[in-house]
Amino acid sequence: MAETRATTKGDFTAVVTANKHISSCFYKLSLQFFQQGAQAFAQARPGQFAQLDLSGTALPPAEELNEQQTDLIGRGIILRRPYSFCEVTAKDDKTSVDILYRVLGPASLRMTTLKSADKITVLGPLGNGFSIPQGKKTALLVIGGMGAPPIQHLASVLSQEHANIYPLVFAGAKTKTQLPFEGRLDEVSKEIGFPIHALAKFGVESQIATDDGSIGFHGPVTQCLSQWLDENEVMAEETIIYACGPEDMLAEVARIASEKKIDCQVSMERRMACGIGICQSCAVECRAGDGGQTEYKLCCKDGPVFDAREVIFHIEKTGHRL
Amino acid sequence: MKSNVDISVEFAGLRLANPVFTASGTCGYADELAEFTDVNDLGGFITKSITAKPRMGNPVPRIVETDSGMLNAIGLANIGLDKFIEEKLPLLQKTKPAVFVNVAGETIEQYVTVTEKLSSEQAIAGFELNISCPNVKKGGITFGIDPVQVKEITSAVKAAAGQKVLMVKLSPNVTDISVTARAAVEAGADALSLVNTFTAMVIDIEKQRPVLANRTGGLSGPAIKPIAVYMVNKVYNEVTKEAKVPILGGGGIRNASDAIEFILAGATAIAVGTWNFINPDCASKIVNGIEDYCRRKGASSIKQLIGAAG
Repeated sequence: MAETRATTKGDFTAVVTANKHISSCFYKLSLQFFQQGAQAFAQARPGQFAQLDLSGTALPPAEELNEQQTDLIGRGIILRRPYSFCEVTAKDDKTSVDILYRVLGPASLRMTTLKSADKITVLGPLGNGFSIPQGKKTALLVIGGMGAPPIQHLASVLSQEHANIYPLVFAGAKTKTQLPFEGRLDEVSKEIGFPIHALAKFGVESQIATDDGSIGFHGPVTQCLSQWLDENEVMAEETIIYACGPEDMLAEVARIASEKKIDCQVSMERRMACGIGICQSCAVECRAGDGGQTEYKLCCKDGPVFDAREVIFHIEKTGHRL
Repeated sequence: MKSNVDISVEFAGLRLANPVFTASGTCGYADELAEFTDVNDLGGFITKSITAKPRMGNPVPRIVETDSGMLNAIGLANIGLDKFIEEKLPLLQKTKPAVFVNVAGETIEQYVTVTEKLSSEQAIAGFELNISCPNVKKGGITFGIDPVQVKEITSAVKAAAGQKVLMVKLSPNVTDISVTARAAVEAGADALSLVNTFTAMVIDIEKQRPVLANRTGGLSGPAIKPIAVYMVNKVYNEVTKEAKVPILGGGGIRNASDAIEFILAGATAIAVGTWNFINPDCASKIVNGIEDYCRRKGASSIKQLIGAAG
């Protein structure tokens, strides 16, 4: 019993190997797993996630905090935090897992103080990741801001394990500084042809869109996707769209996919406590049957990746359910 | 060589291997936890609430973290009685700990229906009557804060429970918890479970409205522990000690030290709740920790410690 548990998922100690400030508001945390943890995380699929226990990690000293962060001083945390992976590398008997994060609250602020050789406990890998159906030749991967990590991970897996699939990434954000990628995106583009280095290193092509036009396509990433689909002839049944980002973006991607009759998988985000299907916090409303009934599924256990056709997206700004 | 310490307890006629339960709503129907811990290490197990019909639960956000705690407003989301019997009960058949089914409803009749239907199931040791859920519009807490209604629902469900143990879960959202505790005991409760969560609110200052879709939620976690210990002690001294009714104590238990506090306050058994979300194996570790504590204190049995704080 213990053995089967350890090789699939569990609560493991990870050692921090790097924690890098990669751009104005984004960081990349590199973790290493050993023994059973290495075995478990070597199997981690794109779109899966892990629960990080950061309750024992210190906050930065008060003088290092900016104005918005000072109210976080002394703010206690108890819950673990769910993060998906942007890269997983299994080598020998160790597995490295990279996590991309942005400082938003008391837990991610604590994360910034992690340094090499620190240890944290990590429960995972959890949930269901993206699946790659037979017969697909083109994969269109859509990123909205912090939705980048699982899509980056998926792009690396597609390029390494599915030579017959052509992956193309569309990465969007409100503005240039909200794109969670390392390096100057305009300079890299001249060197290797594709703007996003983290994807180009796997030979994956990418296009950037910003709402304010500060870099790349001027407009929402969904418009960029839509335009590409209009300009390029793809067979719907041989194409798949994968998306991760804000819910209104996912709803629009799902609409486009449905209009073009293209399969689409979306990675959803919800507030979670446990991450293993017991607390029932992370409900995602899904269609149940043809009669217009709905049911709640759990983002942590049934997702976080769902078929776009089953999800009822909730648009906070307008209150619409799509 | 470890000396022999007896950590088994008598709980309303049941002999439990140890005093550690996992609380309703924090351990699913047991199968969810199987990948992370061995449920058979526990003394008792309480299922997620069961209602006569399935319930979808509340819209999201359903939880929000606070300092040393969290608010939840799940809204008794559950698979319903029929599916529970069909899918989950067979799995609980093989479970070693005493299984309690947490029963909820909107009317006394609904509570009675669920209890009656399960009263002859062998896999079940007893029921936990949920009259203290703060997150539903009808039923739940409305039965639990008025001693007259506590009496009425306890007697009705007691009659439906047959030979099974009936434990009543009390709400802390009252002026004097001994009043509702006494009402439950007088109406035939075999055990009391306390405390459920405290009604609370967190406001998002950017959006200028409550974070939870339900507006309010139940506060749990270490933040409530000292109040829960106090309430267990109060009910023990004022009601249950004399009535010889055991208390299942809980509220913010993270480790064996927390668990021991509740036992010293008067609890016969303890329930681990919110901490299962953070460390799904913690209840099993608490069992070992309790044994170590008894040994360190030279207590040959955990029973000597129940209510020992006076």
